Amino acid sequence: MIQLQNIEKYYANKGLKSYILRHVSTTIQQGEFVSIMGPSGAGKSTLLNILGMLEEPTYGSYEFMGENVVSLNERKRIELYRNHIGFVFQAYHLIDEMTVAENIEAPLLYKKVGSAERKSRVAEMLDRFNMVAKKDLFPNQLSGGQQQLVGIARALAAQPLIILADEPTGNLQSAQALQIMDLFKKLNEEENITIIQVTHSEINAGYGTRILHLLDGVISEDIQVVV
Amino acid sequence: MFRLNLKIAFRNLWKNRGYTLINIAGLSIGMAGCILIFLFISYQLSFDQQYKNKDRIYRVVSQAHYAGGEEEFDSAVPLPLADAMRNDFGMLENVAALESAWGVIKVKDATGNVKIKIKGRAFYVAPDFFKIFDYKWLHGNPEQALKEPNTVALSKETAERFFGDWHQAIGRTINFKNNKELKVTGVFADIPENNSNVINIAISYAGFEHKNQKRWGSISSDSECYILLKPGVTIADLERPKAAFLKKYYVEKTVAKPDHLFQPLKEIHIDERFSNFSGKVTSKSELFGLTAIGVLLLITACINFINLATAQAVGRSKEVGVRKVMGSGKQQLMIQFLTETMMLTLIALLLACAITEIALPGMSALFKEKITFNLLERPVIFLFMSGMVLFVGFLSGFYPAMVMSGFSPALAIKNKVNIGHGGGVLRKVLVVVQFAITIILVTGTLVILMQMKFIREKPLGFNSSAIALLSVPSDSLCKSKFEILKTRILNEPGVLTASFCNSAPAAESNMTSEFYYDGTAMQDFQANIKFIDQDYLKTFGLQLLAGRFLTKSDTIREYVVNETLLKKLKVVHPQDAIGKMIILSDHRARIVGVVKDFNNKSLKESISPILMTTRKDGYAALALKMEAHQIPAVMKNAEKIWNEYYPDQVYSSDFMDDKIRNYYESEQVTGALFKVFAIVIIFISFIGLFGLISFVATQRTKEMAIRKVLGASVFELVSMLNTTFIFLILLANLIAWPVAYIFIQKWLSGYAYRITLNIWPFAAAMFISLMITLITVSFRSYKAAKTNPVDALKYE
Repeated sequence: MIQLQNIEKYYANKGLKSYILRHVSTTIQQGEFVSIMGPSGAGKSTLLNILGMLEEPTYGSYEFMGENVVSLNERKRIELYRNHIGFVFQAYHLIDEMTVAENIEAPLLYKKVGSAERKSRVAEMLDRFNMVAKKDLFPNQLSGGQQQLVGIARALAAQPLIILADEPTGNLQSAQALQIMDLFKKLNEEENITIIQVTHSEINAGYGTRILHLLDGVISEDIQVVV
Repeated sequence: MFRLNLKIAFRNLWKNRGYTLINIAGLSIGMAGCILIFLFISYQLSFDQQYKNKDRIYRVVSQAHYAGGEEEFDSAVPLPLADAMRNDFGMLENVAALESAWGVIKVKDATGNVKIKIKGRAFYVAPDFFKIFDYKWLHGNPEQALKEPNTVALSKETAERFFGDWHQAIGRTINFKNNKELKVTGVFADIPENNSNVINIAISYAGFEHKNQKRWGSISSDSECYILLKPGVTIADLERPKAAFLKKYYVEKTVAKPDHLFQPLKEIHIDERFSNFSGKVTSKSELFGLTAIGVLLLITACINFINLATAQAVGRSKEVGVRKVMGSGKQQLMIQFLTETMMLTLIALLLACAITEIALPGMSALFKEKITFNLLERPVIFLFMSGMVLFVGFLSGFYPAMVMSGFSPALAIKNKVNIGHGGGVLRKVLVVVQFAITIILVTGTLVILMQMKFIREKPLGFNSSAIALLSVPSDSLCKSKFEILKTRILNEPGVLTASFCNSAPAAESNMTSEFYYDGTAMQDFQANIKFIDQDYLKTFGLQLLAGRFLTKSDTIREYVVNETLLKKLKVVHPQDAIGKMIILSDHRARIVGVVKDFNNKSLKESISPILMTTRKDGYAALALKMEAHQIPAVMKNAEKIWNEYYPDQVYSSDFMDDKIRNYYESEQVTGALFKVFAIVIIFISFIGLFGLISFVATQRTKEMAIRKVLGASVFELVSMLNTTFIFLILLANLIAWPVAYIFIQKWLSGYAYRITLNIWPFAAAMFISLMITLITVSFRSYKAAKTNPVDALKYE
C-alpha cells in the first residue's frame, strides 16, 4: 500500500544542511498496524507528515496505492484525504465551533455524501462510540479521552483505508489511552484498516504489528511484533 | 453545507463577540452614513425626471462673453426668443416659454367677498408647454383650457385651497395683481416637490403683456424657455442653426457677446451656474463631495474589518488545517469565510437601516428636503443596499478569506502559521490609510468651521443690525403713497431712520448695467446699480469718503459711487471723481459723492463697482432702522400702517440679519455635515484601533509575561505597545497633510474673503489623532501588562 524509497528531508540554513530524515525506505502493506518510535527529534512526526502528504520529502519517492504522490497537485491530494486517509491528532483538533455530531459529519460533507446517508453514518459512529447522548455537546464540554474518541470517529466516518495518528494518546491518562489503543487494534483486526501511529510508549507500540525505530532520521530497527 | 456554514459562521461570530461587536458597530455606522448620503443624492438626481420626454427636453439658457474673458450665465432668455426659435429651428418638436409672475392673488367666495388674499407665484404658459411636459390633467386639456387670454389652470392642491373642492373650481375666477380676472378652465394633478418648476397656477400665455416683448437686448430672470427635440435629433444638430440665429437676431451692439446654451433637463437641478424657479440647486461638486465622503466612510469601516479578520486569522488557523486534512478544498474554505463576512455585513445592514431611520429626520431638516427611506416606494434603495452589502462583503472578506484558506495544513494544525510579516505589514498600511482619511476629514472640518466663523464675524462695511426690509408694491397708484407711508412709519416711536431702495447694500440678486464715465467709451465692465433714497447712508451706516450723499429726488439727478468703481476706472483720489458725468441708459448726471467699499454680495465674491442713485420707479423695499429693544412693537405697527395704505396688497418683511445669514446656508449645511461625518469617522477609526490593539495585546500576552519576568515595568510594556502605533499615526499625518492642504486650498479659493491657512488645523488634527491612539492603546495594553505573568505562561 505504501512504498517509501530513499526518503530524505533536510532544512538548509546558510548552506548547512540539517537532516531530519535520511535514506528512509520501507514498505507498509494493507492491514498493518505500524508504530513509529524514537527519541525526540528523531523525525517521527516529519515521517508521519510525509506519509500524510502534509509535507513533501526533499528527495526520494513515495508511492501510495501504486501511485507516486510526491508533489501531487492539491486537487488529487484532497481526493485522497476525502476517500482514503483519516488523521488523528495528539491535541484532537476538533473544530471548536461544531458539535460532536457536526464534527463527525464534516468530512462526509466534503466527500459529498448524501444527506440521508450522512445522517445514518453519523448515527452509526455515535452509536459505536457510545456518544449518542453527547452528540449536541461542543468539544470543550468533553473530557480529553472523549474528545479523542470523537477525533477517531471523525477519521473513521469517511471510511478510510488508513489512519495516521500522531501520538493519539499523548494528552490522555493511561486508562483512556488503553481504551484508544484497544479501539485501534480492533479496527485494525476487524476492519483491516491500516494504522500508522507515532508514539513514545512501548505499551502502545505493543498493540501494533510492527515497530519502526527512528534514530536521527534513520530507521534503526524494523521489528515485527510477535503476539 | 450552506446551512452548516451559516451555523458555524454564527457560532464563530458569537465566540468572538467582542470583535464582532466592534465590526458591526463600525460597519453599521459607516453603512448608515452611506445610505443617508445615497438617499440624499438619489433625491437630488430625481429632480425633473418624471416626464415621459425627459431625455429630449432642454432649457434654453443665456451666456454672455465679455471682452475681458469674463462669462456671465443666466437661466433666462429674452422674451422674443421662444417665437423666433419656433420659426428658425426645424428640428424642434415644440418650443414653450415659461414666464414667472409674482403678485397678489385674490379669491372670492360664493357671495362675492374676498376670502383669500395672498402673495404668490403664477406662471404664464402656452398650451405647448404641456406638450413638452406631460402633466396629468384632471379636468380639461391644455389645448382648450389655456388657449384664450385670461384663463387659468390650477393644480389640485391649489384648487382645493382656493375653492374647497377642486371640482368646484371650474368656471370660477381668481384675481391676479388686482387687475386681471382669470377664469379657471382646468385642473391638473400636483407636481411633486422634486421639480425645478413647481407650477401651481398656470395662466394662459395669450394674456401675457410686457414692454420688452420685442426686445432682444433685455433679459429678465422671469422668462425661461424650454424646447423638445424631435426624436433622433441630438443637441449638436442645433449648433449650426444657432450660429445663424444669433447673427440674425442679435443685431444691437453690446459690450458682451450674447450666446445661448441648451441645458439638458436633468442638469437643471445640479448646475450651479444657472438658477431656476424652485430656487433649489445642488451643485455637482457638493454631490461629488458627499459621494467621496460616503466612499471614505465605507473604506474606513472595511479597513476595520480586514484588520480584525486578518488578526484573528492566526487563531483560526487550526480550524483551517483540520478542515484541509478532512478534504476541504481552498474554494470551500473561501466560501465559508465569505459567508461569515456576508452574514456580519447583513447584520450590520439591518442595524444601519435602523440608524438611518433615526437620523433621517435630522438630515431632512438640515437639507430642508423631504427625503424618505421607503423600500417599497423606491426599489432602487434596495438595489443600492444589496450592492453595498456585496461591495463591503467582498472588499473586506476577500483578502482575509484568501489568506486563511491559503494556510499550509501541516503548519496550521500546529498553530505555527506565520502571517506576522505579510499580514502585519498590510495591517499597518491599512491603519495608516484609515487614519490619513480621518485626519484629512478632521482638518477639513476645522478649516470649514474657522472659515464660517470668519465670515460670520467679518464686518461687511455696513450696519445690518435691527434693520427690517418691508417690501413695497410697484404699481403707480401704490407708488404715489410712498412718501406718506414713510412719514407715518418714521413717526412711530422706535424707528430711527427709513429708506426706500431696490435692495439692501448686500443682496443675493443685484441689478447690473453698462454705463459711460466722463465722456469716455462704454466701460467694459458692468456696475451694480442701486436705486435708493437720500436716507440710505444713514439707515445702513455707510461711510462717505468724498463729496456728499444724494439729495431727495424721485428721478435720477445725481450719482454716488463706491471705491471699487473708481479703482476700476483707475481714478486714484476719490476727490477727483466728484463732478464727473455718468451716463446710465440715457440718464446723464454727475457724481456727487464716493462711499467707502461695503460688501454687496456674499463674502464668496469680491465687491462690485457700484453706482447709486435716486429713482422712485426702482424702489422695491422700505428699509427700517429701529431701536433694538422696540423691534416687535415697531414691526407690528409698521404692518398695520402698511395695510392701511395698501389694502389690496399683501404685507411681507425680512430682517437684514436673517437675509445675510441665508447667504451662507449651504456653507452651514456643509459645515454641519462635515462635523457629523468627522465625528463618525473618528469613532470608526477609534473602535477599529481598539479592536486591533486588543488583539495585539492578547497575542503578545506571553511575550509581555516573559518580559515582565525579566524585569520590565508596566509603564515600559505600555510604551512598548504604544510606540508602534504612535509611529503609524505620525506617518498617517505626514501623508494626510499635503492631501488635506490641496483640498482645503481648493475649497477656500471659492471665497473672495478667506482665512489665511496656518498650521493650527493640521496640528490640531495631529493632536486629536495622537490623543485617540494614546488613550486607546494605553487603556488596553495597561490591562494586558497588569496580568500576572504566571497566568499567561501556564498555557504552554
